Amino acid sequence: MRIGLPKGLLFYYYYPFWRTLFESLGFEVVESHPTSSKLVDEGVKVAVPEICVPIKVYSGHVVNLLEQDVDYIFVPRLVTIRKGDTFCPKFLGLPDMLEYTIPGLSEKLLAPIIRTENDNLTRINDYKLVWKTLGVSKASFKKALKEADRIWTNFRNYCYKGYTIDQATDLTFGRVKESDLPAVDGYDTYIGVIGYVYNIYDEYISMDIINKLRSMNVGIRTFEMVDESYIDAKMGTLSKRLFWTFTNKLWGAADNFYKDSKVDGLIHVTAFNCGPDSMLGAVMEMDSDKYGKPFMTIRVDEHTGENHLNTRVEAFVDMIKRKKQKLKEAEGL
Amino acid sequence: MKLAFPYLGPTIAYKKVAELLGHEVLMPPPPSQRTIDLGVKYSPEFACFPFKIIMGSYIEAVEQGVDTIVTSGGNGPCRAGFYAEVHKRILKKLGYDVRFIVFDSMFKDFKRFKENFNLIRGDNSMIQLVKKASLAFKMLRFLDDAEKEILIKRAYEVNEGDFSAIWEDIKELFDKTYTKEELDVALQKARQWIDSVSLREVEEDEKIRIGVVGEILVAMEPTANMEVERRLNSLGAEVENIHNITNWLRHNAVPSIFGKSHSQKLIDLGAKYVPIPIGGHHQENMGGIIDFKNRGFDGVVHLMPFGCLPELVSQSVITRMQKDIDIPVLSLSLDEHSGQVNTTTRLEAFIDLVRNHKVKMKNKL
Repeated sequence: MRIGLPKGLLFYYYYPFWRTLFESLGFEVVESHPTSSKLVDEGVKVAVPEICVPIKVYSGHVVNLLEQDVDYIFVPRLVTIRKGDTFCPKFLGLPDMLEYTIPGLSEKLLAPIIRTENDNLTRINDYKLVWKTLGVSKASFKKALKEADRIWTNFRNYCYKGYTIDQATDLTFGRVKESDLPAVDGYDTYIGVIGYVYNIYDEYISMDIINKLRSMNVGIRTFEMVDESYIDAKMGTLSKRLFWTFTNKLWGAADNFYKDSKVDGLIHVTAFNCGPDSMLGAVMEMDSDKYGKPFMTIRVDEHTGENHLNTRVEAFVDMIKRKKQKLKEAEGL
Repeated sequence: MKLAFPYLGPTIAYKKVAELLGHEVLMPPPPSQRTIDLGVKYSPEFACFPFKIIMGSYIEAVEQGVDTIVTSGGNGPCRAGFYAEVHKRILKKLGYDVRFIVFDSMFKDFKRFKENFNLIRGDNSMIQLVKKASLAFKMLRFLDDAEKEILIKRAYEVNEGDFSAIWEDIKELFDKTYTKEELDVALQKARQWIDSVSLREVEEDEKIRIGVVGEILVAMEPTANMEVERRLNSLGAEVENIHNITNWLRHNAVPSIFGKSHSQKLIDLGAKYVPIPIGGHHQENMGGIIDFKNRGFDGVVHLMPFGCLPELVSQSVITRMQKDIDIPVLSLSLDEHSGQVNTTTRLEAFIDLVRNHKVKMKNKL
């Protein structure tokens, strides 16, 4: 049996988990093709016009999987992975949106409701629908979950070491060795890239901002490298947390980067019309004044042009590097 | 302590409760173009339209000398639950020192709820509180019912503008009403005013009924929705709005052992299309559309702020739902850039479509 994983939204964060889960049950895992302009067009055709680009892209990936003739498409309905938190309403209604906008999807949709209390999605009862539909026993599903969790923990440990998600995924599946990758430390400039995995690591949406920065010899910090306990501790000091889990993670990470003297500036990559980010962005902007660190917002959608992005990122990095140089010279005098 | 509330529905009723409890209430002027301009200027660019309108109202309120703002909180997933937090920061940045009393669910943080509750209660005993609140509730119920009636009858008024004028008079009258005796007189007077308007006779077959669903603030605030209800009425269509504060209170403040609230019934209907609550009034709106269809309405107008998170899910589902249950739905996305002419044209076209659809359905039978 072939199970399709759409390459969008939290795919980047949970790919090692989901792939291991289905493969250890003996299923073939089919990924949708990398995001391309054709694939985005397919998504734009079915999605409502006003919705954010990550949802349009995700719709495109689902259409792509339907074309690849898979048996099921795995679209978990992520409701909460932390007590008191939730996901953006679009995640909560994701399977419904897809079902009612994409023709021919209903029978193939595999959409368990996920309600856990931490990032490891290992609560067995959430998956009843999945093992029943696929005809697997609860015991073997439990075993597969355990294996998936083990692989995913490896993956997360690479993240905490300072590898970005693309690198950590390759390392987890043994595609590269640590010695083959550029060093995570030892740069003269560090930039915190704040954004959801589906905006940063989808090379088409973000226009590969990570590699752009790397080519400018800049060290990169992202939220998944920050220790969860730091984020939780930081959130405890606020009079009110935001209620979206990943938005909180970004906020906690941004706070960490603002306070970390090693990080020189922050870039917020956000999708046009992102609701949670409209609140987070406002708070981070105010914090930028407070800590006196450069902060830039890059807003992406299906129309973004690459040249403007290059220019802005280059200018931002140059400005930071020049400022540092000046400071150094002043200290030398 | 000088209080103000954000505008939502018949604001005079909340004002009344606060005044009866001995607080001074200084309401900002009703939302206007200036409110929207101010709100847009000082809000984050991509905050949703309701956020901006409320921001504008708060600024107008503090300009008048308000020092305490009373509002509701929330626990997501819609961003409205975080409004107060960001509003507070922006006002502080503008140099206004305002106190916020934010009512969050009492089940989540009972201590803070009790503190807030006691602040509002002041020196009143619980019995006095209930007495005063019930007076305001009576007023609220009348206002909600009167508005419902006006939205139907205004479609047939002989002199356009009669009902709109009366509606303003009623609000003014109630604003000056403080005791039970005064209220009884006021209720009678309001009743007479409504009954005195002359109406056109229209054949039952010719009548068009339109339901309004959507995000609660833009669906209830005429300035935010380009007076959709009045425009529909002047095109000769009866209107019923799914939202009113009486329903909201019944649903949120009355325990379910006293029977299912109207809202809950709608939510149950909507669960067929979206099985879990996803924020805002999403499920209620979905159920509302089905309910309007079941009750023989001819069309539905769905109002949402541009980029509204829960309502975008609604919009996605509606594309198929309107075919499934065969009722025309017009989705209007509203923000500070909405134009009146555009809205009018779309509504006119929609009403034409609805009339044709009605004839077609009749011929089928």
